[in-house]
Amino acid sequence: MDCLEYISEYLAAHADNELSLVEQHAAETHLSGCAQCRGRLISERVLKRAILQQAGIAKAPAELRLRIRAALNDPAGVPATTPSNGGWRRLGRRSCDIPRRAPVEPAADRRQRRKRVWIPIGITSSVFVLLALLSGQVIRQSGAMDNRAVPAFDIAISKYLQFGREFHPNVPPEAYDSSNGVLYAWVMDRNSVQQVAEDDPESDDISRSYREADMPGDLFDFSAAGYHITGGRVDHLPDGRRVTYTMYQSDAGQILSLCFSDSEMAAPIGAVEWVGMRSFYAYKGYSICLTFYPTGHFISILVTRMPVYQLLSEVASNDVVAMNR
Amino acid sequence: MWVKETKPLGKRLLFEQVVLPHLDAIYSAALRLVRNRDDANDLVQETMLRSFRFFDQFAEGTNCRAWLLSILYNNFRDHYHRSGRERPCNSGEIELELEAHTLLADMSLNNPEELLEDRMLGRRIGRALNELPEEFRQALMLVDVQELNYQEVADVLGVPLGTVKSRVSRGRALIRASLIRSDCIRSKTGT
Repeated sequence: MDCLEYISEYLAAHADNELSLVEQHAAETHLSGCAQCRGRLISERVLKRAILQQAGIAKAPAELRLRIRAALNDPAGVPATTPSNGGWRRLGRRSCDIPRRAPVEPAADRRQRRKRVWIPIGITSSVFVLLALLSGQVIRQSGAMDNRAVPAFDIAISKYLQFGREFHPNVPPEAYDSSNGVLYAWVMDRNSVQQVAEDDPESDDISRSYREADMPGDLFDFSAAGYHITGGRVDHLPDGRRVTYTMYQSDAGQILSLCFSDSEMAAPIGAVEWVGMRSFYAYKGYSICLTFYPTGHFISILVTRMPVYQLLSEVASNDVVAMNR
Repeated sequence: MWVKETKPLGKRLLFEQVVLPHLDAIYSAALRLVRNRDDANDLVQETMLRSFRFFDQFAEGTNCRAWLLSILYNNFRDHYHRSGRERPCNSGEIELELEAHTLLADMSLNNPEELLEDRMLGRRIGRALNELPEEFRQALMLVDVQELNYQEVADVLGVPLGTVKSRVSRGRALIRASLIRSDCIRSKTGT
């Protein structure tokens, strides 16, 4: 074998470990007597690694992951909601719409809106799940999250534990003052928990405060399960993003709701159940409900100690109530 | 209180565990095929749906990514390649997106000059890849980026094994030539 034959017939496959035993023997015999081809093999492997490093694996957009997960719930097909582009025809069969994220509504419109609980997409599936639960069927916890770390969930659990010991709401509106950059200094002088709890309807103030902070003003209604709103708080995550915390309390325990903007987060694999835009997880001994808002790239995380199927039931009840309002 | 898992729920959970970890790789492959983000999203969604419908046909223990890429390329050939239509091409934008998400293997390159050199090399390789004939680029991406073996690439592309070997060999040779040419240009122009 000469160098030309080695380069044209063997080099690439040698670098890819794709030579047969016979070919491998022939190639190595040539290399044992040819330093230049030994260098060429090294160079080929370096180039191969460089292509892998530099060509890149792009992260799939969060919206695409959502569409796929929604489609898995309805395998008959989901329409692409991307606009027609240069006459390209759409793929496959379509049977329902999955809304894409819409622009955030103007602040003036938000202020005029009354408080309302968010009515999720796929309410029909929420009702179905509730009925299934009431008929005695529950969801098996998959345990698929045992070995996965989800930073957003870890933050939620950390705050759940922190606020479970001591929660200092900084809303209604008079508590919120961004002019001096301090959002919560005043609360140390007031029993804000009692203050908020005595307000009727206190949730209006909390909701309005959230909206004035350019955050979603939607709240859950767990009153049917005996949970009342303890209070709300506008704060910042370690990276500076604004976050709202809403604490719900009952004799049985607490549910903490976090809401913040995240355009990159995708629903982690391992959900116990999906209902519309919500996914439910059993994570490190806690139950988590992750919800993607249809506008503004917001997500909300519910974290609690109650079993995940019970959380699913409470959230589904909330969704049914919202639908009937 | 536990209940028996319904079959659809079990299938979906298994599908999520086995298939969805490959979503980024499939998306990258689609992006390079159609050169357009919206079409890539559609192509990937269709691929995932089809793979879910035929998940029972996937042989446990075989290369799931290769199986998914076969479906992807079949969809691409069926819906895009044969249409013959001019499709909107955002090559520059696509390359930036891929560069932004590149998984750098060597994070110990904390020397800014080395990082810059590495990034410049990456762009040159990216340009060289874009200049390749389509069939060579597809073969190289499947072998070097998606890390399929030659037989799997042959199955995905629907060509003989010998054709894959030839395309990979010639594709790398062309990239090497392109890098050498750009080195010559840089040394002449001082850039």
